Amino acid sequence: MRDPRLTTLADLLCRYSLEVGEGDTVLIDGPALAQPLFVEVVRKVTELGGHPMVRPRLERAQAAFLADASEEQLRTVTKLDRIEVEAPTRALSVWGQRNNRFLSGIDPDRQAIRSAATRELFERFFEREAQGEVRWCGTAFPCDAAAQEAGMSLAEWEDFVYSAGHLEDPDPIAFWRAQSERQERIAKRLEQVRQMRIVGEETDLAIDVSDRRWMNADGHQNFPDGEVYTSPIEAATQGHIAFSLDAPYNGNDVAGVRLWFDEGKVVREEATKGRRFLSQMLDMDEGARYLGEVAFGMNEEIRTGTRDTLFDEKIGGTCHVALGMAFPEAGGSNRSGLHWDMVCDLRSGGEVHADGEVIYRDGRFL
Amino acid sequence: MTDPRVRRLADVVVNYSTGVKEGDVVQIQGPELAEPLIVEIVKATVAAGGIPQVRASVQGVDEAYLAAAGDDQLDHLPAYVLEEMDAIDARIAIIGAWNTRELSGIDPGKLARRSRAAQPVMGRFMERSAAGDLRWCVTAYPCDAFAQDADMSLDAYADFVYQAGWLHLEDPASAWRTYAAKLRALANRMTEVKTLRVVAEGTDLTVGIAGRSWIASRGERNFPDGEIFTGPLESETNGEVRFSFPAVMGGREVQDVRLRFENGRVVHSEAAAGGDYLEQMLGMDEGASILGEFAIGTNYMVTEFTRQILFDEKIGGTCHMALGAGYPDTGSVNRSGLHWDMVCDLRAGGEIHADGEVIYRDGAFLPSFFAEELAVPAA
Repeated sequence: MRDPRLTTLADLLCRYSLEVGEGDTVLIDGPALAQPLFVEVVRKVTELGGHPMVRPRLERAQAAFLADASEEQLRTVTKLDRIEVEAPTRALSVWGQRNNRFLSGIDPDRQAIRSAATRELFERFFEREAQGEVRWCGTAFPCDAAAQEAGMSLAEWEDFVYSAGHLEDPDPIAFWRAQSERQERIAKRLEQVRQMRIVGEETDLAIDVSDRRWMNADGHQNFPDGEVYTSPIEAATQGHIAFSLDAPYNGNDVAGVRLWFDEGKVVREEATKGRRFLSQMLDMDEGARYLGEVAFGMNEEIRTGTRDTLFDEKIGGTCHVALGMAFPEAGGSNRSGLHWDMVCDLRSGGEVHADGEVIYRDGRFL
Repeated sequence: MTDPRVRRLADVVVNYSTGVKEGDVVQIQGPELAEPLIVEIVKATVAAGGIPQVRASVQGVDEAYLAAAGDDQLDHLPAYVLEEMDAIDARIAIIGAWNTRELSGIDPGKLARRSRAAQPVMGRFMERSAAGDLRWCVTAYPCDAFAQDADMSLDAYADFVYQAGWLHLEDPASAWRTYAAKLRALANRMTEVKTLRVVAEGTDLTVGIAGRSWIASRGERNFPDGEIFTGPLESETNGEVRFSFPAVMGGREVQDVRLRFENGRVVHSEAAAGGDYLEQMLGMDEGASILGEFAIGTNYMVTEFTRQILFDEKIGGTCHMALGAGYPDTGSVNRSGLHWDMVCDLRAGGEIHADGEVIYRDGAFLPSFFAEELAVPAA
């Protein structure tokens, strides 16, 4: 039998997140294993008068190309690739993998060449998004690979994913509207803040957010969602922070990360696991040692780390920072090929000070 | 481990059928269940210097769309679809299904409406194909749904599919090249014929073909392959034909079809089951009751009827004819929304006469007409 929560999810994604309307060309892009969600979204898009543009991907085919292609083939971007960027007026990215180590046998340099080649596609897509020509949302389809990573059975993981989206509420869209209002009030309050200080176990970090815009992540661009975020003043971060949650990145195991900042830049990094990879990533480019994001997780249904950033960064009672690429819409100017979110639990004893006043304690805004 | 026959199939469709070369953008279409073949075709394409572009489909999406779509949506052809058609150099389409009755609950009128809307893409495809700008091949991946329709287990069906492509041979591409040369010679020989007469149980049909071309279908646009076909003169088919195998289309089946032709047109049709559907199809348009194709199956590794026309029309020792649209490159001028192939077994007592002379008997050409061996060695 069809999981009714999938139908609810599709409805929410189409009507709330993407606001699909008559005549919209809706790209639905994701792993073929998300077939049940594809079906529900296609049905809903069509009912709303849209035209689905369905692109199921096969990770083994992708890996075969990356493994065998010449440098020239890796660098080739085709007209078909460009059509997927230019044609849609709505785009849904579905995330999920059969095996999240599927690229582990591929030389990272080859992946880097391919990423560099396809960067123009992302940039063009973001440009269209910024101009209001296309709306985008990314969502997770519960799959075994992510469940395994989170230490759960598939059934447990499904329950977790769907409850994080409040899909069993009588009216999930009403919940997200209310959540959006709650977050909006906090974002407004944070916009008055200039100096922010995060204090916790082995953590005392000063971040300047003067005149930066706080964004309300309320289920439109990510689903599930629930955070407020901004991009800090680039050269002002000072102090040190310890991340209590694992910080995996692109399938690489990294844990127990501690960072020391001076004038915005990471000057020392430690990790109990994956220290070498961490340093490699931070040396990727000029911007990789600077913060591109500071944010507060506001989703109270997400309580534990799952080793999946989409969820972990939204845990209610945590803050996270990202090294690398900043958000221009928030006023950030840091540029980097990296955007690595790391989460710090503030639920037992953590505090946030805003211009000298405590505004957040033990995972809650006061 | 990947079945080595899958790798051979990929090699043949990439290097023989579509002849992928450096820089070619190759669209690979197929259902997700054909992933092992898709992966091998990606590898073979990359090795040939092409750029693979995988377009996989997943179960249920088509049905969900068709069930929910209104006329406006069905009539809408997005501009990007034509742009995509112009952007590829080759296309390899893999057929396979989770369930061959998947669309049985969808109003056929909706399907027809969508096909009509897609006419411009079909037209562009044909144009580019005729101009030699787009090479394409349709092949099949063994799946349970097809196996079930063929009354076989999946393993037995996989053997059937791969043997039909001669993939049990070490170097199938070279066997196909040798065969292609013979088949072309046969097609040339047939082009001299003016009138064919097919005689079999319940069948005595005269088909005028003077001036029409015969084409050797030799593993390029279909794989597996093996037939020669032409487009009959539109008003010179006379007599009766009885199709030994069920006529299958769109998941429907018509049993024991019998047709009587006069001056090219079907004047009487009957069937043991499904006669209404047959009549409906024949009445679709002007050209639907006229033959668009007459062909002889010449793949002697295909011996069984399996309800997939890609294979059935190639059975060595059969002939088939299609009601409806003909192929312009044969000289046919018949146009229709229909192209329905029906197969007639000639292996037990069937004969073909060419301008009064018997040239084919019991499923094989007589050496007096064509002496080359068309059969391929078993294992």
